[in-house]
Amino acid sequence: MLQYFIRRLLFAVPTFFGCTIIVFFIVNLAPGGPYEQQVQALKAGSGFGIGSESSAASKDGAATIPPTALAELKRYYGFDKPVYVRYLIWLGLWPRETDSYNVKLGEPRNVGQGQYLIVEKTANGTYSIIDKDSKQSVNGVWTAENSVLDSTGITQLRVFKTEYAGILTGHFGNSYEYREPVIDLIASRIPISLQFGVIGLVLSYVICVYLGIQKALRHGSTFDLISSSSILISYSIPGWALGLLLLVLLGGGSFFDVFPLGGLQSREYETLTLGEKILDRAHHFVLPVIASTIQSFATLTLLMKNSLLENLSQDYIRTAFAKGLKEKRIIWLHAMRNSVIPIAANIGHIIGIAFVGSFFIETTFNIEGIGKLSYYAILSRDYTVVFAFTVIGVMVNLFGAIISDFVLAMIDPRIRFR
Amino acid sequence: MSQINQKSGSQSIGQRRWKKFKTIKRGYYSLILLSIMYGLSFLLPILVNDKALIVRYNGQYSFPAFTSLVASFPLIDQFVSVFQSGESLGQKGNPGQARYRDLQQQYEQENGDNFIVMPLYPYGPIEDITTDGNTAFMEPWTASDGEGPRIMGTDENGRDVFARMAYGFKVSISFALILVFLEYLIGIPIGGLLGFKSGWYDLIGQRIIEMWATLPILFLIIIVVSFIQPSFILLVLLLALTAWIPITTYIRAEFYREKSKDYVAAAISIGVPTWKIMFKHILPNSLVPIITNFPFAVVAGITSLVALDFLGFGLPPPTPSWGQMLSSGLQNLTKWWLVFSPMFALFVTLIMIVFIGEAIREAFDPKTFSRLR
Repeated sequence: MLQYFIRRLLFAVPTFFGCTIIVFFIVNLAPGGPYEQQVQALKAGSGFGIGSESSAASKDGAATIPPTALAELKRYYGFDKPVYVRYLIWLGLWPRETDSYNVKLGEPRNVGQGQYLIVEKTANGTYSIIDKDSKQSVNGVWTAENSVLDSTGITQLRVFKTEYAGILTGHFGNSYEYREPVIDLIASRIPISLQFGVIGLVLSYVICVYLGIQKALRHGSTFDLISSSSILISYSIPGWALGLLLLVLLGGGSFFDVFPLGGLQSREYETLTLGEKILDRAHHFVLPVIASTIQSFATLTLLMKNSLLENLSQDYIRTAFAKGLKEKRIIWLHAMRNSVIPIAANIGHIIGIAFVGSFFIETTFNIEGIGKLSYYAILSRDYTVVFAFTVIGVMVNLFGAIISDFVLAMIDPRIRFR
Repeated sequence: MSQINQKSGSQSIGQRRWKKFKTIKRGYYSLILLSIMYGLSFLLPILVNDKALIVRYNGQYSFPAFTSLVASFPLIDQFVSVFQSGESLGQKGNPGQARYRDLQQQYEQENGDNFIVMPLYPYGPIEDITTDGNTAFMEPWTASDGEGPRIMGTDENGRDVFARMAYGFKVSISFALILVFLEYLIGIPIGGLLGFKSGWYDLIGQRIIEMWATLPILFLIIIVVSFIQPSFILLVLLLALTAWIPITTYIRAEFYREKSKDYVAAAISIGVPTWKIMFKHILPNSLVPIITNFPFAVVAGITSLVALDFLGFGLPPPTPSWGQMLSSGLQNLTKWWLVFSPMFALFVTLIMIVFIGEAIREAFDPKTFSRLR
C-alpha cells in the first residue's frame, strides 16, 4: 500500500515536467507574445518618446525604434534565448540573468547601491570586471558578455549577475502586466476565491448529504420524485448562466432589487461595524455562491442517495433488522458510515476549488478572484502568471487524485491499492 | 433453466432496455420532442426567415427561402447564391439584398398580380439595424409599422432574438453532436488499447494522457482565433483535442474487465488479430458506459460552445449563438429579454437531454434496490 503511494508520487514527477513542458512550449511558441505586443505598442508611437515625431515616421514604425531598444526589450522578456533554455531558466536549472547593464570598455558604470564597475579586456580576449572602489575583481559575481544585436550587427558589451531562480526554488517571477511578484498577486486573490469555495462547499455538502439521505429513505415517494426533477434541472444549467439569470431577476436591473449587482462588498464597507460587515458580505455572496455550487448539487445528492440505498440493501442491514435493532441506529450508525465513503473520497478535489476558482462566475459577478486573474493573464499574455497557474493546476490535478485515493484507503479498510 | 430462458430469451437485451426506457416517461418524451425539434431545425430557413417563401413578380416566380434552405447545408453553400437584388423585384433604390417584408406591403398596395408569401415567422437571425424597419432593443411582442410582432424583441444590433434563438438551437446541437462523435472516435481506440494491453503500455499511456490533459485549450483557442477567422469545424477540432480524455477512462475500465473473460482468451487462442478482438468482440460488450455517457457528453459539448461564445472566442460574429446572446444580455442587464431568451432555450434543451440521459442510465442499470423497512 505504502509502495503504491510512493510509486504514484514518483510517477507524478515526470508527469509534472511533461505537463509544464507542453504548456511552456505552446505558450512560448505562440505568436503575438508579450515581446511582440510591446513592439506593437511602441510602433503605435506610445511610450517611447517618438510620439512627437511626424506621423509619417511612426507609420514606418520599425525604423523609429532603435535596434538596441528592441534587443533590450527582447532580453527583458527573455526572448533572446532559445525556448528550451527559457524553460530551464523558468525551472531554475539554468542561470537567470539579473541586473543587466550596458557598459563601455574601461569606463566606470554605476550598477546600483553605489557600486561602480569597470570592464577591461584581458590579453587572452576575456573580460575582467573590477570594482572601482575596492579595485578587486568581481568576476565571480558579475559576468561580462559581448552580444551582437540581431539586425544591425552592432556589438554591445554588458555586465550582468546570474542566479538560479525558477519555480523549483520557489521563484515565479514578476507579472508583466501588474509589475509585481506573481506569488503576491496570487496570494492576494486566493482569500477571495477561498471564501467562496469554502462557503459553497460546506453548504453544498451539508444540504446534499441531508437531501441524499432523505431521498434514499423515502425512495420512490413524491418527495423523491420532485426533488429528483429539480436536481436534474439544476444539473443541466451551467452555474454562471444561472447566475446571469439571477442577476437579471434579482439584481435590480429589470425586476426585483434584492441583491447587489456584483462585487464583494458595498462602497461604504469600511465604515460599517463588524456585524454589518458580515451581513454585507453575506448579502453579496448569496447569488455567486448559489451560482457556483448549483451544478455540484446533483452529483453529490445522487451519489449520497445511491450509496445509502445500496448499503441499505446489503445483508448486514438485513441482519441488523433481524436482530431487532432500532431503525434509527441501523441507518445512522451502520448504513451511514459505509455510505459516506464515496463522498468523503472527493476530498482531494476540494483543495482544487480554492486555487482554481471559476472565472465565469467571477466575470458574471465582477469579483476580483483567482479565476478572473488567470483568465486576464491569458488575454494579456502575462506569461509568468499563466505559467504560475499552470503549475498550480497541474499540482492540484496530480495531488488531488492521489490524496483522494489516500483518503479512500484510510477510511475504507476494504480498499487495497496495489 | 429452460423456462427462464424462454421467458427472457424472447427479447434481446437491447429490446428489454428499450422497453424499460419507454416506461420512463419524461426521458422518452424528451427524446421524441428533441428529435422532432432537431429535425425541424434543418427546415428553419423556410420556417423562420426574412427571405420570402414564394415571390411572384411580373409573372416570374422565385423561391428565395428555399434557396437559403439549400445554402444552409455545408459545402453546398459554396455553389448557391441567396442574393436577390431589391431592384430586380421592383424595390426602387435598393440595389442590395431585397427586403421581402417591405416588398410584401408594397405589392399589396399596388394591388397587382405580384405577391409574396413570407415564412411563418418572417424575421431572419442576422438581419440587423442596417435593414429598414429594424430597431435595437425592441421589447418582446412589439412590432414596427405593418409588420408582425417580434416574439422576443430585438437585441442591441436590431437582430431578432427569437430567430437567433431558434437558429442557435440547430448550431448548438449540431456542434455538440459532431464534437461527441470526434470524442468517441479518438477516445474509444485509445482507451481500448490502454485497457487491452494494460501493463506498461497502460502506465505510460496514462501518464501521456495526463500530460495531454493539461493542454491549455482556452489559451490555444484565444491564440488561434486571433489569427484565423474561427469556424465551426475549427472550434470543434480544437475542443476535441482534450475532450476525448474522459471517454478513455470509461473504455479503459471496460476493456480491462472484459479482456480477462473466457471468450477473449478463446479468440486469442485461435489466433484472431488484436484489432479484431478489440473492435469485434470486446467493444460490443463495452458499450454500456459509452451509451449512458452520450447525453451527458452532448450537454458538456453544448455548454462549452455557449461558454466560448459567451467569452467572445466562439463562432464568428453574425452566427446566431446562445453564448453570444447571453454576453450581450450581460452587457445590457436592463433588457431582460436578452438574457431570458437564450437562457430559456438553453435550459429547456439541456434539461431534455439530461432527462434522456437519466432514462437511458436507468434503462441500462440492472440494479433494483430491495430493502427491508
